[in-house]
Amino acid sequence: MSLPDFKLLRPRSLAEAVELLGKHVDVQIVAGGTDLIPSLKQRLFIPAYVIDIRRIAELRGIRVIPGQGTEIGALTTLTEIEHSDLIRRDYPVLQEAAKTVASPILRNMGTLGGNICLDTRCLWYNQSLTWRTSCGFCIKKDGDLCHVAPGGTKCWAVFSGDTPPALLCLDAELEIAGPAGTRRLALRDFYTNLGDARMKLARNEMVSRVFLPERTAGYRGVYRKLRLRGSIDYPLAGVAVALKRSNGHVEDARVAITAVNPAPLVVRGVEKEMVGKSVTEEIAAAVGELAARTAKPLTTSALTPEYRREMIRVFAKRAVLEAGTK
Amino acid sequence: MSDFSIIGKRIAMVDAAGKTTGAGKYTDDLTLPGMLIGKILHSPYPHARIKRIDASRALALEGVVAVVTGQDAPNKYGILPVGHDETALAVDRVRYVGDNVACVAAVDETTAEKALELIEVEYEPLPAYFDPEESMKAERDLIHENRPHNLEKDYHHVFGDPEKGFAEADCIRESRYIANEVTHAAMEPHSTLAAFELDPYSGALGRLTVWSSTQVPYYLQHKLSLVLEMPMSQIRVIKPLVGGGFGGKSEVIPLEIIAAVAARAAKAPVKITYTREEVFWAHRGRPRTIMDMKIGAKRDGRLTAVAARVVQDGGAYCSYGVVTILYSGALLGAIYDILNVRWDGYRVLTNKPACGAMRGHGTVNVRFAFESQLDEIAAEIALDPAEIRRINLLQPPCITVNNLRVTSYGLPECIEKVVERSGWRERRGKLPRGRGLGIGCSHYVSGAANSIIRSDMPHSTVNIKIDRDGGVVVYTGASEIGQGSDTMTAQIAAEVLGCTLQRVKIVAADTDLTPIDIGSYSSRVTFMAGNATLRAAEEVKKQIASAAARKMNCVPEDLVFRDDLVFKRGSSVSSVPSGVDSVVAGRVEGQILRGSLQQKRKEEVPKDWMTFEEAVVAAIDFHGALTGTGSYAPPPESRGGSFKGAGVGPSPSYSYSAQVADVSVDEETGEVTVHKVWAAHDCGRALNPVAVEGQIIGSVWMGLGQALEEEMVWKDGLLMNPGLLEYRSPSAVESPEIEPIIVESIDPEGPFGAKECSEGSLAATIPAIANAIYDAVGIRLREVPFTPERVLAAIRARDAAAKKLDLTEGVDPTAPTRFREHGGALWFRGKGPKRHELDPARRAEQLAGGDD
Ligand SMILES: Cc1cc2nc3c(=O)[nH]c(=O)nc-3n(C[C@H](O)[C@H](O)[C@H](O)COP(=O)(O)OP(=O)(O)OC[C@H]3O[C@@H](n4cnc5c(N)ncnc54)[C@H](O)[C@@H]3O)c2cc1C
Repeated sequence: MSLPDFKLLRPRSLAEAVELLGKHVDVQIVAGGTDLIPSLKQRLFIPAYVIDIRRIAELRGIRVIPGQGTEIGALTTLTEIEHSDLIRRDYPVLQEAAKTVASPILRNMGTLGGNICLDTRCLWYNQSLTWRTSCGFCIKKDGDLCHVAPGGTKCWAVFSGDTPPALLCLDAELEIAGPAGTRRLALRDFYTNLGDARMKLARNEMVSRVFLPERTAGYRGVYRKLRLRGSIDYPLAGVAVALKRSNGHVEDARVAITAVNPAPLVVRGVEKEMVGKSVTEEIAAAVGELAARTAKPLTTSALTPEYRREMIRVFAKRAVLEAGTK
Repeated sequence: MSDFSIIGKRIAMVDAAGKTTGAGKYTDDLTLPGMLIGKILHSPYPHARIKRIDASRALALEGVVAVVTGQDAPNKYGILPVGHDETALAVDRVRYVGDNVACVAAVDETTAEKALELIEVEYEPLPAYFDPEESMKAERDLIHENRPHNLEKDYHHVFGDPEKGFAEADCIRESRYIANEVTHAAMEPHSTLAAFELDPYSGALGRLTVWSSTQVPYYLQHKLSLVLEMPMSQIRVIKPLVGGGFGGKSEVIPLEIIAAVAARAAKAPVKITYTREEVFWAHRGRPRTIMDMKIGAKRDGRLTAVAARVVQDGGAYCSYGVVTILYSGALLGAIYDILNVRWDGYRVLTNKPACGAMRGHGTVNVRFAFESQLDEIAAEIALDPAEIRRINLLQPPCITVNNLRVTSYGLPECIEKVVERSGWRERRGKLPRGRGLGIGCSHYVSGAANSIIRSDMPHSTVNIKIDRDGGVVVYTGASEIGQGSDTMTAQIAAEVLGCTLQRVKIVAADTDLTPIDIGSYSSRVTFMAGNATLRAAEEVKKQIASAAARKMNCVPEDLVFRDDLVFKRGSSVSSVPSGVDSVVAGRVEGQILRGSLQQKRKEEVPKDWMTFEEAVVAAIDFHGALTGTGSYAPPPESRGGSFKGAGVGPSPSYSYSAQVADVSVDEETGEVTVHKVWAAHDCGRALNPVAVEGQIIGSVWMGLGQALEEEMVWKDGLLMNPGLLEYRSPSAVESPEIEPIIVESIDPEGPFGAKECSEGSLAATIPAIANAIYDAVGIRLREVPFTPERVLAAIRARDAAAKKLDLTEGVDPTAPTRFREHGGALWFRGKGPKRHELDPARRAEQLAGGDD
């Protein structure tokens, strides 16, 4: 399978990139390309222009801003995050999540920005043009039906990135660059939970940096991922937990889930369930229930929806116990 | 006698360097001047009539040289003489999503792909069949007109007296097992390059040369000749390096014929390389198999009877189907001593890609059912699972009730070894909750005693030529596909001739140069091509010996060939130089041109020894040329019975294996972790122990994939996971340590006693894991793969838990019940949505009939 024809643009600065984004209508950003390139081959995108942002040196690397927190450039690779002592020490949940993504080779290419902006996935969508032709085009691409929820009008393609639930637990913020400069947005407010319009990013905007607040540095973190293979596989369900303890009691806690909804979601009611208490089996089980209730898996992915929801419950319980007691 | 210098040694593959450095050439690495790229248009329908194909717009596209369709080569072919039901491209009907409709040959891939979109095809959709048990009821809209009820073939065998056997049993178990469909997933996608010679004046087409990733170059040559209506002598097939086959390249795959048809139309070389998705459509993997298995046993563990009904979902074409179904019955025999057997086999056509031969052809799924049920019986009569297997061993040499001749039989030792190494006796039953050990046994043929096209001709022939400097060239038709065929050939030749391995050069699998060998399938190469090599080498050796004996004043029988020397038996070791290098220089320098006259002058008295080169020169002097040939045909007494279907199953020899798996099961998630597998395999003699171990480990890992993860999932004939991301072959992470244990039963007829080692181990892995899961958590899984959701559903069912895991949630209640009866599947299998009005692939109307 070959790539469709497009013009490749290679800006050297953020400003230049934003300018190009504004200038061209039919355009796709490529960072590591591990998500976009296979999709181009499958003709899920046939852009006139592709902007390769990898030459923008300012978007690489991890930097501490004293008194504020840590800043990670959108082009920082998942391998860099996995091997960063700083991240391992201060934001262990992010490190855990990053090292479960795909395989070592893909992590060498894949960027944090690309992981956050990852296209939503569906078994009926991530297929070749020939395949989709024989099946019938769906809402997400070229058609107006949904194979997952027949008769429905909403797209349920599932968000399957591993690091965003970890970033949500850490109260991460994004820096978004656009024609009018940059703006900040809480990651929590970035996703739409719509499979076919996954993020709140204007056409001429891009994600430039990620901020992790100093406040959540040192939170204990655990990431648990359901997959059939120990490597390569996207999550079929994923749970991130980050919490702060003092004197055996939980001071603050966050749980977020991925791969079971069109967006990574923060599980509501966790603070209420946990803060001020010490973590027990019962509390962990209760959080597991909350997480399972947030999960709305459908037949977008391998394994049955019911099993995947069940695993959100089990994994959330286990992750809370581990983060809360070890 | 096990005093060999090359046999039995751990030797690196002779073709390893090219593969590891990247210098080696696979088919897709090849290019020719003026070469075009071929791309195939595939059917979007599972079953439809082609009403019209209009390729004019595609042909008009700049860069497109030719477009071919079914009419360009309508002759039928198929790997089996009874199954000639394929054409290069669909002639008037497509039978599965992915069936081949047209092929574009263009200057590059992009142009060819664009041209595909310009081909207009008008289809008339037909009712389609996706489930074998429904398909068998079909009365009309048959997949092939000459196959009533969509039944490719059914067989009904009875040996002994099963009724009596079951009547005598104290314990009978009967249940249904299902093994879902899997595919080979070889690393190298299929690729073919076809080129005709052109007459420079008239432009007329001459001889055809085809380079292809194949396990069977000679069958390819034969089928090309059928379809293209050219004599075989005008066709040359060359097999470059092949990146794995596992059966997926053991017959003629559509692209191989299509490339030649396109090259003929374009009058230019055409190369086609499948995308991974196309590899899945070409398929020929292991069929989904439904097995109703029944075993009866006495209280003491002796088996009294077996009955099996096996239904295979064969896909849209015959392929190897008739053989696959027959193996599923035949190989109930030749492993245990069972006197009463009933077997009913059904090979059914459905509108899906054709299934064919895959590692452990025909036996793997049935072995899973049998070995699982054997454990159920053992549990019921409170016998150790290893013990019940021991009680039912054969007493070879013997002939089984279904006429299989068993000679060498290392199964008892295999069982003993894995029991011992795994700590079976000490550990089993004493492991912590959730952890368990399980055992499984299996066997396989060392080549089929009857070739596909039945004849008395040899199955393998090998020629050897020795040059004046002692270089040995072995010409063999055997196909190296990564399994070590070339290395095995070189080892046998070098051992017989007593020369170094470095002297031996292998020329293999080129129909113009090498004598015929029927191919790399059914684990036949070591046994058959190995024997042919042995015979060819012995023939040349005899010529060298007679000449050398004259020089040494002795009889040829007194000579020993070893370590690049020829010496008199019993000559004192000290008189024979240990290093060859010291004598080669000077003594025989220049002899190639001057002949041996000069050399003779140098020699004063007859000696006790000669170098290999000297002996070769003496022989060429004496005989004029030094060539030898050897061939192998299985002995008549190994060819089996004469009942209908008796041709499949017989082999000159069988390999045996026993395995113990150590697993743990997470009872909250259903996840199964395999910690270790001890795998003992009786390969007769390990010609190259590293290669044998590699094959055992690879087989176990492949079996593990089928046991835990791999499954082709269908939705209305559409493959939901046509790629290596969603079709999950195990990654290194969940491939545990395998302890390969080589058992050597020294087969009386194998080359140096060797027999099969690369397929037989696979079948034991799946039941060993199933039985270990039972030992760990007390659930009996009857459907592979044992995905976590199936395991969890069974655990919940075991506990009659309040919180049942209903894996069929969301499944359309009108969907056929068989989708529900076995507790779920990897994916939703209910009905899909109606296709949208504007959808290009929308079916004309809701069709009557079919089973969708
Ligand atoms: C076999 C395989 C397995 C995988 N497994 C996993 C897995 O387990 N978990 C997982 O999370 N991912 C997985 N992935 C997906 C992917 O490798 C990672 O998500 C990776 O982080 C994506 O980053 P990238 O830089 O390669 O993204 P790209 O492919 O370059 O981009 C991805 C998307 O984000 C957009 N984009 C990228 N950067 C920006 C930016 N700065 N601003 C705005 N938009 C942007 C692109 O336009 C594109 O739509 C897998 C991929 C493959 C091929």
